[in-house]
Amino acid sequence: MAATTEAPVALKKNYLTALKEALDEEMQRNNLMLCQGEDIGRLGGAFGVTDGLQAKYGEDRVVDMPISEAAIIGSAVGMALNGMTVMAEMQFIDFISCGFDQIVNMMATYHYRTAGEVNIPVVVRGPAGAYGGGALYHSQMNEAWFCNSPGLKVVCPSTPYDAKGMLKAALRDGNPVIFYEIKELYRKREIEEELPTEDYIVPLGKAAIRREGSDVTLVSYGQNVYHCLDAATELEKQGISAEVIDLRSLVPLDEETIFNSIAKTSRVIVVNEAPMTCGFAGEVVARITTKAFHLLDAPPSRVTRMDTPVPWVKPLELHVLPSVDKIVNEAVRLVKF
Amino acid sequence: MSAKSGSATAERAEQGQGSRRPSESLTREECLELFKQLYLARYFDIRLIKEKKRGRLRGTLYSSHNQEAILVGSLFGLQSADWISPIHRDMPAFFLKDIKAGWDNDTRIGMTIEEVCCQVWGKEGSPGRARDNWSHIGSKSKKIIHSTSMLAGTIPAAAGVAYADRMQGGNCVVLTYNGEGSTAQGIFHEAINYAAVHKLPVITIIENNQWAYGTPTELESPLEDFADRAKGYGIPGLIADGQDVFDVYDKVMEAVNHAREGKGPAIVECKTFRAYGHGDHDDDRADKYRPAEEVEKGRQRDPIAVCRKKLIELGHLTGEAATSFMAEGKGAGEATNDDFPPEVVAYLNKGIEAAIASPLPAAEEGAMWVFKENN
Ligand SMILES: Cc1ncc(C[n+]2csc(CCOP(=O)(O)OP(=O)(O)O)c2C)c(N)n1
Ligand SMILES: [Mg+2]
Repeated sequence: MAATTEAPVALKKNYLTALKEALDEEMQRNNLMLCQGEDIGRLGGAFGVTDGLQAKYGEDRVVDMPISEAAIIGSAVGMALNGMTVMAEMQFIDFISCGFDQIVNMMATYHYRTAGEVNIPVVVRGPAGAYGGGALYHSQMNEAWFCNSPGLKVVCPSTPYDAKGMLKAALRDGNPVIFYEIKELYRKREIEEELPTEDYIVPLGKAAIRREGSDVTLVSYGQNVYHCLDAATELEKQGISAEVIDLRSLVPLDEETIFNSIAKTSRVIVVNEAPMTCGFAGEVVARITTKAFHLLDAPPSRVTRMDTPVPWVKPLELHVLPSVDKIVNEAVRLVKF
Repeated sequence: MSAKSGSATAERAEQGQGSRRPSESLTREECLELFKQLYLARYFDIRLIKEKKRGRLRGTLYSSHNQEAILVGSLFGLQSADWISPIHRDMPAFFLKDIKAGWDNDTRIGMTIEEVCCQVWGKEGSPGRARDNWSHIGSKSKKIIHSTSMLAGTIPAAAGVAYADRMQGGNCVVLTYNGEGSTAQGIFHEAINYAAVHKLPVITIIENNQWAYGTPTELESPLEDFADRAKGYGIPGLIADGQDVFDVYDKVMEAVNHAREGKGPAIVECKTFRAYGHGDHDDDRADKYRPAEEVEKGRQRDPIAVCRKKLIELGHLTGEAATSFMAEGKGAGEATNDDFPPEVVAYLNKGIEAAIASPLPAAEEGAMWVFKENN
């Protein structure tokens, strides 16, 4: 840019940069923190989330690991046992299944089985989510597996502000956290935002209301938050006012924000990208029916992926996933119920 | 143990011993201490089975009978600050760690007999407050990695502990114990490969007792020597005679010294034989799925007898002492307290009394400590 006289424009940052800043700042403030994962050092990560960190913190603290998800997670647990904080990257969250045993039997249970003697400050994070043509093994949202494993916190930010604040909170939490990043949001221009220059965290376990409304509550997280917001815009044209809640954190779950919203709207749809059966939306609906049934004027509903894997080519992929249309149609049905 | 692997052991045992063997530097007192620790491990086993028969104890017991030399010999040369990662067959390791610092020294970096007995009895005095059973305990301060059921599942943690220790300027080694059957697990490979890449001081002891529950070694792996797995990681693979506490000590010390010098991990296979069932629930069945001759042969070289013979040769055991406390070859049904040194019996009595006196944890604890609270 040639002009030097213009006032400096505040810099908007994308979701990926927000994550990178969180890692950088936490590595800076905690000498006993380490990052490990496949190709995260020299290359800077498959998506670049750790780009530049190895040059800054050295090969001992930003470690290129063998293609061994179980060892990446399992060794992080040992490091935590011996005083360190670890960020363990899964190149794609789909591959987390290769480290499943280490997560659910070793990491998740450590605090419990030692009667609180051992804390495990380990964050397992990685790119997740569909809608990008990633096909079966680069599109998953497998959060339900871990929500069903007591001892793990499970979170999924949808904005740059939350991505940074929640990653920092997760690294300081002292409990193991499974951190779902939405790869389709990494470089999405529309959601770029200014981030505070001072240190901040976004506490785990607090939902955010992304849009206020009075006729129906749309509860979601990750990419589906944006589908819900688009659906709300569409519904407004039809005279229906939708409130959109971004859960951000699944475990722990902010029930209060959900129930307060339903007290206003008396209708609710929970939307998630994962398959329907035993998906997290089912858990949210179950909590609503057991604890807030008296607030409802229509059966609580969900819009989820069909009970299928995520297929590759676009028409197939979109067919099985939640969409703006599917959410709108379901909302209309509930309002007319 | 087949005759074949027995001779292979002897052959390997000769290798690399131009220089003095570490055990040759052990004093008479140390040799006698090793001997006594074998009794301690054996008596722990036998006594628990007796306690269970008397109905004073619940839960499954995984006997280390006939494999005690592996635990005693491998732990004896460790420094207090070293870490260990025992599994189901290694229960005595929890109190044998750092026991050199004094059997009754409660500040040693190892568990007390009271803590271990409280765990076996499922009482509040257990280091894990009896939240999980049998060997599934550990201690950060005692530098014992908490074991789980998942075979080979703690080797990556051992590697992580070693990495973190190095980052913090330490010079510890980490000993992990594994049955030969567990070497077929994927995590065994991932963890040792990672440790080898980073030259981490992690020593993998393979207790090759010829059986993994009901499955013999030839159906577990095509290898004759499980130590050969080391070749795939470019690390030393040593073989020890698991019945000979001195040979175990020598081979483990070789690996420990190698690791402490920053040269990385090693595998030490200790050849032994599982004398009884997989667990005490399996004792009767094991007599059916294993040929009687094999079992008889496998029990022949009792580590207490092997050690006794050596101590007599060295002149450390003479006169009446050479033939007292003949516990060797006796199972829980045959052995009596008179077969063990009185201090060994007294030690266990002390632990068991503490366990019986310790209360059960409060029921509400079942729902506690799922998460670290951050308030
Ligand atoms: C991952 C896993 N699979 C199966 C088991 C059940 N199991 C417990 S011990 C055992 C046999 C282990 O054999 P080995 O590793 O040789 O040890 P040993 O019992 O002979 O000392 C099996 C199959 C387990 N604990 N963990
Ligand atoms: Mg075995």
